[in-house]
Amino acid sequence: MTDRLKELESACKDYEEDLVLHYYGENSEADGKRVTEHLAACGRCRLFVDDLRRLLPQMAKSEEMPQSFWDSYYRETVAKLAEQEERKFWWRSWLVPAQGWLVPAFGTAGVVVLVIGLLFGKGNLDSFMERSPVKIPQEILVDSNQLEFFKSMDILESLDHLEQQDGTKSQPNSTTHTDRTRYYRGVA
Amino acid sequence: MDDPQNFGDEKLVALCQQGQKECFEILVRRYMTKAFHIAFDFTRDTETAKDLSQDAFMRAYANIKQFDGRSSFYTWFYRIVVNLCLDHARRRKRVSWQSLDDLGDEPGEQQQLADSTFAPDQEAIAGETKRKVNATLHGMPKKQRTAFLLRNHQGLSIADIAQVMKTTEGTVRVYLHRAVAALRQSLVEFV
Repeated sequence: MTDRLKELESACKDYEEDLVLHYYGENSEADGKRVTEHLAACGRCRLFVDDLRRLLPQMAKSEEMPQSFWDSYYRETVAKLAEQEERKFWWRSWLVPAQGWLVPAFGTAGVVVLVIGLLFGKGNLDSFMERSPVKIPQEILVDSNQLEFFKSMDILESLDHLEQQDGTKSQPNSTTHTDRTRYYRGVA
Repeated sequence: MDDPQNFGDEKLVALCQQGQKECFEILVRRYMTKAFHIAFDFTRDTETAKDLSQDAFMRAYANIKQFDGRSSFYTWFYRIVVNLCLDHARRRKRVSWQSLDDLGDEPGEQQQLADSTFAPDQEAIAGETKRKVNATLHGMPKKQRTAFLLRNHQGLSIADIAQVMKTTEGTVRVYLHRAVAALRQSLVEFV
């Protein structure tokens, strides 16, 4: 036993990983060739691989279950899937049994709500329909008198120019244009 | 008309994604043995393995629309199974450690309890060798154990294991080597 243990401990460490991969057939072509050449020359590594061949398949052996187990397994899984599906669409289960009476019930309720709305909400509907057009704030609206006033102001403004033109031809009056403007503005 | 039983996984998955539940039932029949055996390798308990593998099918079906086909269906599905098994082991380990705290720090006691937690189904254990293998497997890091179980027990290629574990092939090779070395070492008296 001690000798065997020593052999295990002194196995070629550089090759150990490659030997495992070699056993599983997972080495690349180049590595496979290298390992094969090494195995031909190294007894310890050959023992290592032999151990793997003896031990690892035993570990992989799994319990053989009878066919009845698999039948039951499949049935249970399908049932669980159906249950999961049902939980996902829980509202369908609520709708399906009610399908017979739900549509007429919702229809009747809709009609009732409409009738009540028309009867009791008539006043509100009229006021809505007869609503005045868009209201403009009072501040924005211009009074017709004010409009006339501003028109007269335009004429008065132009009087300055007329007087300047006339000033070269005739004597100025006792009341100036500026006084008149002030007078008119005061009146307005 | 073609029999859906003869369809490949890809086509069945595509049909499932369109809402054909019957196609998923074909996938269940196709993978139930493998799913159960992976779960059994991890748990060593028939009932737990059955529950976990059935849960995996349910999760796969619930998320089938998210499967984008970048990997094969079976690597995607294996990942679900393995994750559930590791999750289950983690929960059990937590319970075990809680018990260990109560018992004390004697290594012998720990080993005894650790063995009993993952081998409740005594019929599944065929002797001392198997017990030792199980003890070693469950004592090793979960990534090493996963890589080993998928390669040795399920026959997945290293490339597929890398996809299942979402790691590189080089890393899987290292995990596999370490797992095999540990197992061989633990079984030295039986060699």
